[in-house]
Amino acid sequence: MKLYDYILSPSCYKVRLMAALTGVKLDIRPVDFHPGAEHRGQELLALNPAGSIPILEDGDLILTESSAMLVYLAAKVAPSWLGSGGAEETARVQQWLSFSSRLTASLGGARLHEMLLRPGDFGALQSQGIASLRELEAGLVEQGLHGMGFLASDRPTVADIACFPYVVLAPDGGVSLDPYPAIRLWSRALRSLENFIEMPGIHRLHELKPEPHIEPGKV
Amino acid sequence: MIDEWYPVGLFSQLDAVGRRTALMGEPIDVARDAEGNAKVTGGNGRALPACVRYGHVWSSLGTPQKALFAIPEADQPGRRFVDVGVVRVRCSPLRAVENFLDIAHFPFVHTDLLGAEPHTEVQNYKVEIREDEVWATQVKFYQPQAAKSASGGITTEYIYRVPAPTCSVLYKTCPPRPSEWDVITLFVQPLAEDLCDVWPWMALFDDTTSMTDLIHFQQTIFLQDRSILENQIPRLLPLDPGMEIPTRADLTSVAYRRWLKRRNYTYGAQLVAQ
Amino acid sequence: MPARIPAGSIALWRTQSGRVTASADRCPHRGMRLSHGFVRGEALSCIYHGWSYGQTGECLRIPAHPGLTPPETIRVAAHAVEEAWGVIWVAVGETTAEPPRFEGFVPLRSLTAHADLATLKAATGATAGTAGLDWPAPGAPEIRLLSVPQEGYETLIHVLVPGDSSPAQRIAASRAAETLRRTAEDIQAKGLAPWSTTR
Ligand code: FES
Ligand SMILES: [Fe+2]
Repeated sequence: MKLYDYILSPSCYKVRLMAALTGVKLDIRPVDFHPGAEHRGQELLALNPAGSIPILEDGDLILTESSAMLVYLAAKVAPSWLGSGGAEETARVQQWLSFSSRLTASLGGARLHEMLLRPGDFGALQSQGIASLRELEAGLVEQGLHGMGFLASDRPTVADIACFPYVVLAPDGGVSLDPYPAIRLWSRALRSLENFIEMPGIHRLHELKPEPHIEPGKV
Repeated sequence: MIDEWYPVGLFSQLDAVGRRTALMGEPIDVARDAEGNAKVTGGNGRALPACVRYGHVWSSLGTPQKALFAIPEADQPGRRFVDVGVVRVRCSPLRAVENFLDIAHFPFVHTDLLGAEPHTEVQNYKVEIREDEVWATQVKFYQPQAAKSASGGITTEYIYRVPAPTCSVLYKTCPPRPSEWDVITLFVQPLAEDLCDVWPWMALFDDTTSMTDLIHFQQTIFLQDRSILENQIPRLLPLDPGMEIPTRADLTSVAYRRWLKRRNYTYGAQLVAQ
Repeated sequence: MPARIPAGSIALWRTQSGRVTASADRCPHRGMRLSHGFVRGEALSCIYHGWSYGQTGECLRIPAHPGLTPPETIRVAAHAVEEAWGVIWVAVGETTAEPPRFEGFVPLRSLTAHADLATLKAATGATAGTAGLDWPAPGAPEIRLLSVPQEGYETLIHVLVPGDSSPAQRIAASRAAETLRRTAEDIQAKGLAPWSTTR
């Protein structure tokens, strides 16, 4: 499976993270998104006329939407990430998968504007981002009251992976995460998963490792 | 301060339309003229000094007394030059440079790339002022993956150099060519006292790694720093001792702050401890 | 975790043994926000260079110098903290008073509104109790609100509900709090419109 990937793209990171969590080895093809704008070059437009990344290629199959890639990876090797199959849970997974595109547009847009100087109505992007974060926070509070720690279930699903990156990277776009305690707990739970990988802007949870004993002068 | 040279854009990306940006609060336009030269225009339409060097266009709001600082390695044959591209950071330009000079944060911020616990110790190194530049030499640190071309951990040696208040040049052990140094720079464009555009640039001996991989590695490192830089309080760099507590590992930072203060370079600095 | 009190941002953290500390949110080394740090055992470490601090604010460890005992002068200020009935109280300055008790109530959630305290009161029509607001929320159990003014026009609201509320009642209370926030923010937005004289 070949992933056309940009290291700073939260959407690409979703796919790398999902692959890491499910033990799938990806063949990574780095794309010079910034500063080179390679995603707008002929080779990549031939694969994805929309000019966006990530692109996932597996044999004849070409996927250009990250949510579809998450579902594909899960269906192939780890179906439990799609939820248990009940009507409500399936619907909740779909609900948050669709919702994740609003995070991409708002928080992702604010981040590109603030970090890589992309054009956009920054104030509007920020307030749409805050509205989305509030919705996610309320969703997590209600899930918690049902005894469930994740967006669709009592265990993580593709829905959590679809929402997680743009949410935790909100501060990159000048949107603070301080006001959302439920989001903080949820994000910590995801970051504590076995085989979790980071991306730039998401620090390692150093507390997961014990404090090392260091002998001075031995380097 | 206005007489210094500052980076204002990547020359390879410049066209006739150009880009609108800012320098120390003043809006400026950077474009390519009919002859293909870089042209920089100030807020009131006046032509600003311009030169092209190290992949970037440089300009100044004042009248630079000297040519842009030299990086002799940039003219060495066999090196690959990497335009890493701009990243905006909500912090003082001086905080961005100081972070670049610091190695003690590697295990915590660049975990498993430039450092990792338990290898946190910073050994003594030398700091001096050479021809009015800050130099730190014999800086050594254990790194799990020092560069894209490195596999496995090594103790890497660095030399740091601050040739201008918002620029730093780093020389680093070059795994494929032990007799040479890789050159990694941080050129910072001050947009305001607490906002900057950062232009990392590299001149490396590495014939195997793809250009995109080299760019991505450096962007990864810098984006990890960005999340620190946007959360330091205050945003401005305190130049007076008392507000922040350095240790032996921070000798480069201490020398940098003193050097700025002596030159009266206060743009992006906080002078009185609050 | 970061928390905001009227005196500014603090780093609120719980040790492995369960003790809560409220430290100033600024590392004395290079000014990094300590609320971005990590807790190992009984100490809080800064994410930038890993300096770690104990509950009384003393610096315990500087990883760049493993052999060094940090001088006592390196300290982080700490505020007095009290934990009662699921609510953590932080005192600004000296205090001798005990925090108020909310017998029978449990915390539900906390949310931030872009509205000041007066606007919030207007939106609830609530009566001020001994501490906090008793809010007769429509369609929800009796709700008690604790509000903390933040910088700007923001208010942090802690929502408490009776301990014997059912899950359905708690969800209703959470949704009622969202509605309250919307109402308060509407009033605030109108009140702050340029033509307003109540600014
Ligand atoms: S700023 Fe906290 S350890 Fe350096
Ligand atoms: Fe760094």
